[in-house]
Amino acid sequence: MPMTDNSAGKTGAAPEGVRARDRLALLTADNAAVPLPTGVQAITAILLAVLLIALPWLGLGYRFLSIAITTLYTAIGLYGLGLQFGQAGIMSVGHAALMGVGAYASAILSVQLGLGFWTSLPFAMALSAIVGGVIGLPTLRVGGQHYIIITFCFCALFVIVLTNGGTFTGSATGLDVGSVTPLPGINFDKLSNNYYLVLAALFLALAATYLIGISRYGRTLRAIRENEQLARSVGINVDLHKLGVLMVSGLFAGLAGVLQLYYLRHISPTLFGAFPSLYLALMVMLGGARYLYGPLIGAVVVNFLPEVLNLDPVDSRIAYGVCLLLVILLLPGGVGAGIKNVYCAVRGGFEKQGGGTNGRA
Amino acid sequence: MDIFVQQLVNSLSVASVTILIGIGITLIFGLAGIVNFAHGEFLMVGGMATWFMVGAGMNFFVALVLAGLLVGALGFAAERCLFRFTLNRPMNGFIMSIGLSVILQHAVIRVFNEFQKSITDPVGLVWTIGGVDIIAMRAIVVAVTAVIVAITYFGISRSRYGMALRASVSDRDTAELMGIPVRRYVTGVFIYGSLLAGIGGALMISLFPITPFTGSVIIIRGFAVSLIGGLGNVGGAVVGGLVLGLVDGLSAGYGYPEWTDAYSLVVMILILVLRPQGLLGGTLGPKAS
Repeated sequence: MPMTDNSAGKTGAAPEGVRARDRLALLTADNAAVPLPTGVQAITAILLAVLLIALPWLGLGYRFLSIAITTLYTAIGLYGLGLQFGQAGIMSVGHAALMGVGAYASAILSVQLGLGFWTSLPFAMALSAIVGGVIGLPTLRVGGQHYIIITFCFCALFVIVLTNGGTFTGSATGLDVGSVTPLPGINFDKLSNNYYLVLAALFLALAATYLIGISRYGRTLRAIRENEQLARSVGINVDLHKLGVLMVSGLFAGLAGVLQLYYLRHISPTLFGAFPSLYLALMVMLGGARYLYGPLIGAVVVNFLPEVLNLDPVDSRIAYGVCLLLVILLLPGGVGAGIKNVYCAVRGGFEKQGGGTNGRA
Repeated sequence: MDIFVQQLVNSLSVASVTILIGIGITLIFGLAGIVNFAHGEFLMVGGMATWFMVGAGMNFFVALVLAGLLVGALGFAAERCLFRFTLNRPMNGFIMSIGLSVILQHAVIRVFNEFQKSITDPVGLVWTIGGVDIIAMRAIVVAVTAVIVAITYFGISRSRYGMALRASVSDRDTAELMGIPVRRYVTGVFIYGSLLAGIGGALMISLFPITPFTGSVIIIRGFAVSLIGGLGNVGGAVVGGLVLGLVDGLSAGYGYPEWTDAYSLVVMILILVLRPQGLLGGTLGPKAS
């Protein structure tokens, strides 16, 4: 399940001469973990895919499916945040604003030029990526905490600009769009079809995250995360890599924003303000940014918990804050790390019984 | 001209509250190395406590002191139970402080409600000096802030405790070897900063009504002030607070009031990008990240 471990194992097994940067990646990989067999990974992935695809047929009702859609498009945005935080170690607390850039770009294109979902999507994603990169420029100069504050400022500024933007941005009331342009034979007005649209995008995001995680690029990012100076000294272009991951993260955010826009059909500035941004940051911490399914777990927990516990909004937010404190204090790696530890402990236990090597959690 | 002077005095009293929260943040962030996002909520809790005590018939100035002590105790609890465990991972501490701010905000809503609270002017005097009307309470706010700034400034720069504190920021290990109880100093700074937030909250509610969401607005201004001045730099926080308070106060009177909040944000982003160490220089914040 964790995407960081196997990649290091593969590099270690690679017969060709290990270059300096690979050696750095090896050094910096999460070496405390037991490498999971790919078979388990594949089974987990298939089970998850089957579950997600079968969800609309389980007869759980309209409300459940609505929350599921919200969860999924949030998770897509979270995968971007997970990449930049989990892989490169750059946290942002203005990520909802980046989703807002995509959503508003798409909505404005729709209102001003009449572009539909499919035609505005590439522009919206590109704009989000560019904005993500531009906000990221200061992080090359200043430390991580300063970048966090800059993202927060950006988020607050974004809302002020939208609110004061007149008819162009729809001011405080926001903008409306039509429904997703139907593909031949598929009408996205139906909720389950909308669900599959978002689900397809989530699978894309998952696949992209996995591929980045096991690629040389992902390893380089982790090397930068672990020791930026060392990475720089072995000749890695740290600035370029950081900007790159921030732009990829922006792409994800743009995609999530457009999906959110066309699911809600109406957007207003408060959807992309400080609170949603903080929630995104909390979700990614809660789930565990370094694990492939971490962001998804975070999104599911946060979106479904109030529903399951049947709390009113005030209580659910208090419960949420308490959960967050507990996770940070007890499970600093998020729920994903917790699940992995349990898995490794169980597996280690089995191996000990079978007289195998010790698998330490 | 009279109106300008009045605006100036009003801006000064607004700036005072901003300076108080800015000093708290600059000390906690710059010297104790903790990014406490719940600091604005501490201020809000101080204001709410004052509102409650004044509503129960207590004298405002007694309530002010009690609110300061209450929030100081809150800070002590937060540091001992939460931030103590994340000193080596400031990022986790930061995220935790967000959680704490959500909890405090909604706990206040749960205990009272989400509507805005205000108290009547506890002094209720208006001085007329040279044709300019000055509300006495505003002058008192400025005076209290000035006293606190002076105490803090000399405490940090002149006293042996301040010297020990600065020593532990610049080289923690050596400071510990010299017998400075660094951890206790971190706790002490955190409590002191929280105390200032409590007093700031009490002063704030004597000027304008506050809501449970005031904290999340004021925190940004607090960070702006401390970063503009330079982290850990008390004088810098005063300069930052004055700049921001005056820009805000005057823009509300003369500029585009709907963009008031944007000014402080733009100033802060520019400072962060162009001069990360702040105008007057300071620490660059916690070193471990």
